[in-house]
Amino acid sequence: MLPCIQAKDISLTFRPKNREPVAALQNLSLDVAKGEFVSIVGPSGCGKSTFLNILLGLIPPDSGEMELNGRRIHGPGQDRAMVFQEFGLLPWRTVLGNVELGLELKGVDSERRRRRAMELIDMAGLAGFASHYPHELSGGMKQRVGLARALATDPEVLLMDEPFAALDAQTRDLMQTELLQVWEKTHKTVLFVTHSIEEAAYLSDRVVVMSARPGRIKQTLKVRLPRPRDYEMRLTAEFNDLKSQIWEILKEELLGTK
Amino acid sequence: MNGFYGEHRRLILGVSSFLFLVAAWELLLTYVVPVNPFFFTKPSLIAIAFRDQITTGKLWHDLAVSSRAFVWGFAFAVLVGIPLGAIMGWNRRVEYTLDPFLTALYASPLVAVAPLLIIFFGVGLTGKAVLVFLLAVFPFVFNVFAGVKSADPLLINVVRAFGGREKDLYFKVILPSTLPYLAAAARLALGRGLVGIIVGEFYAASEGIGFAISQAGDTYRLPDMFVGIIILAFVAVLLTEGMRWLEATLAPWRAGEEVR
Repeated sequence: MLPCIQAKDISLTFRPKNREPVAALQNLSLDVAKGEFVSIVGPSGCGKSTFLNILLGLIPPDSGEMELNGRRIHGPGQDRAMVFQEFGLLPWRTVLGNVELGLELKGVDSERRRRRAMELIDMAGLAGFASHYPHELSGGMKQRVGLARALATDPEVLLMDEPFAALDAQTRDLMQTELLQVWEKTHKTVLFVTHSIEEAAYLSDRVVVMSARPGRIKQTLKVRLPRPRDYEMRLTAEFNDLKSQIWEILKEELLGTK
Repeated sequence: MNGFYGEHRRLILGVSSFLFLVAAWELLLTYVVPVNPFFFTKPSLIAIAFRDQITTGKLWHDLAVSSRAFVWGFAFAVLVGIPLGAIMGWNRRVEYTLDPFLTALYASPLVAVAPLLIIFFGVGLTGKAVLVFLLAVFPFVFNVFAGVKSADPLLINVVRAFGGREKDLYFKVILPSTLPYLAAAARLALGRGLVGIIVGEFYAASEGIGFAISQAGDTYRLPDMFVGIIILAFVAVLLTEGMRWLEATLAPWRAGEEVR
């Protein structure tokens, strides 16, 4: 079966003015199946976010091909949506206005836009907050808006760039569980970038460990934990074995970049 | 905090401090140091002057004359300043070309060119309006410029990522980013514009609030002079508060961040 996302030999070097070029990604190849939940972990600056941005269509790679359902990616499109680490909510728009953004840019009429946005606001647990502005919300609620906004256009692929990194530990645990529930309902293909081994292990079907810069795939681990997963699963021996496996692979890279 | 006082503490304290000052001023000059009215005056005399100026219509006339010049100058400052600031923010070449002139002009005390403007435009509406324009236009230029530059690259990326085109970036990110700056610009420009109108009328005019103040001063009619000063302060407060309201309406998302 054709993979949903197919990255072939992606390389990218940043060439900032007046500074040394930085090789961000080198011959990175990755296939992701439709409906699969894949996490990417790796040392800071290994190009994880850059990879998502290429997939999103914001940056073209220097070489290699990025394909979605066999079609080459040329720019942003409504078949992909991103949840950003710093939320990226428009401060002058209410929750409703923010969730409507993608639909608005797609040209959906205001009546349908509103209905669809309200559906997602409810699903994200934000009922009653539609007319609030982002500055009135907590971090967790802001990211719920971010998730609702990304899902509003019903994209095939959901890209998440350390979406919970800015949240406190408890909110983070809660959001992970909620994300899994949403994922089980919607069956999106998810590519999830994180620094947290635990988060990657808990959420994913597969965990991709990247090398230090320039980023390549070091190893991919299949997660064989049953679904649906709950919080208690994190206390099991299998879960902790998996975590230490990921840690062992990652450790060399972390120590290498020091 | 509780009760009537607790709820209205700000208003009560503000009004009573004002009343106290007026009363103290009146009593001090009546009983403690009865100063020659030639050199200083007291609230009761100012009130009489106020009444006279209102009944003769002089106050309204002066106010109308000054307002007209102010409105013209300010309107042009808005019409020129906002597009100029926006273009400078979008286009680096325009920025680099204009920046030296604008910065020099903004930094220098432009009231110094008042005599020149009188030579160019004569005594009357045009010269004063031009002076108001010159003083008020810079806050708009520089604030709109800063507003455009302040647009968050993350938000620009967000709109691009959701399929936004060039035009969407302007209308959905850059323009809203400048609104709070625009409100701040208007507040600054109001203050500078008022200085412009008064200096213009001090320098060369035959009517208007500034002229009335300077003429009353020249002839030692202190109560009349204070009428002008108080009216001016009143108008300034009114306009500034109006701007604050406008700011809260234009940019409600800033309400949570407002310091003052």
